[in-house]
Amino acid sequence: MNQKTYEMLYALEGLQTVETVMNKLNLTRQSAINLLSQLKRQQHVTVSGQGKIKRIYRITIRKQLPRDLGMFDILNKYNPDFQINPWFDHQVHGKYGPEEAIIDAIQTKKFRLILATLRLFNYIKDWPSLYQSAKKEDCWQQVGALYDVARLFFKVRKMPEKYRKVRFKKIKYLIEKYRTKEIMFRPIHQKWKVPIPFREGDLTKITGMW
Amino acid sequence: MISQQGQLELFRLIGSSLNQDVTCYAFGGNAMMFYGYKGETKDVDLLFEDEENRREFIRVIKLLGYEESSPFKIYIEEKLREKHRPLMFKRQDDNGRFDLFVKKIFRTLLSPRMQEDVYAEHEFNEKNKLKVKVLRKEQLVILKSVTDRQNDFDDIKTIIKQDKHFDWQYLIDEVFWQHRHGDTWVLLDVEEMLKELKKYVLVPEKFVRQLYGMNRDKLRLAPKKKAKN
Repeated sequence: MNQKTYEMLYALEGLQTVETVMNKLNLTRQSAINLLSQLKRQQHVTVSGQGKIKRIYRITIRKQLPRDLGMFDILNKYNPDFQINPWFDHQVHGKYGPEEAIIDAIQTKKFRLILATLRLFNYIKDWPSLYQSAKKEDCWQQVGALYDVARLFFKVRKMPEKYRKVRFKKIKYLIEKYRTKEIMFRPIHQKWKVPIPFREGDLTKITGMW
Repeated sequence: MISQQGQLELFRLIGSSLNQDVTCYAFGGNAMMFYGYKGETKDVDLLFEDEENRREFIRVIKLLGYEESSPFKIYIEEKLREKHRPLMFKRQDDNGRFDLFVKKIFRTLLSPRMQEDVYAEHEFNEKNKLKVKVLRKEQLVILKSVTDRQNDFDDIKTIIKQDKHFDWQYLIDEVFWQHRHGDTWVLLDVEEMLKELKKYVLVPEKFVRQLYGMNRDKLRLAPKKKAKN
């Protein structure tokens, strides 16, 4: 990157519209559009908004590389009313869908991520794969408990009966030391031996009924 | 040299031959490629949490034709006397080089902050999982000061120049932590790097003073050697 491009990117870094670029660099509209298009080809710019929506250009000095989907992308995709701001860039290069995202979210032990997994149960297509991955990570109890919580509030796809028949003795936590406080979750706690950390108010956030 | 696309394909290939899940931390030029700071790198620097993970990784790269190479001429002699020096692997066709560390990078520990505050996590899901965690830019600068190879200083300059939001306090805090936990080199390495860096970019004076202050305290607290009679 030459010094001139560097200085220009340094001045423009952040969110811009065509008008702000025109003002900052004292350019005509066409020159600003040409410049943005050139920077986009060099991977310094990504655009959001099209059609009637105003275009916003995100400009960075470093290149914005193409991404593969990760846990946050999957959770946000299926929770339109309950978005999560990623605190690190999670990407999976290979097969990745709701089945894998549920397991990853449970392992973070973060409240909002676990809450967001509830919506994903309606999109599970491969129950054997979910069961195998959960067994490998030793978290099938938690998956089963979250499935039963999801069933109380949403329409979800049916889990094959053979995966529900397992009996458990040892208690496993979704989040350490969080206990079941809502009476309606007690049967789920009893069945899966997993304390449910959610309150009723938490669930209304993801059902979209504020 | 290896490009970002080449690196992703290489990791995918390695992931497909693993017999167990492996987790590692990227911190060199390869980590900078994940950020988009640069397009290609000579070496892939990885840090493993334990020897078992590194052993499995080495088994797979040997299958891909990588052979152990000598670290001499790449790292300074003083650092190569350390127990935690890297194992290095290279292919005949010179398609990049692996520098593989375990637990420590010479004397610098894999700190709890390094493990928690990662910038990115790239998973290569094949039969088994290869998880590559990319360290924060502040950690990259510290570790590049420590490894101190040819081009490492240029990489530091690139990071600082391309990032408006570089957290100097985070860097200083981490240097102090490393120093408190037995890394006797880190203070001197970072101080030397900052002295050189000040010629090219603006380094806020208060952070430099913090580092000098720490260094002075260290010298004051150091036990004096008794003169021989």
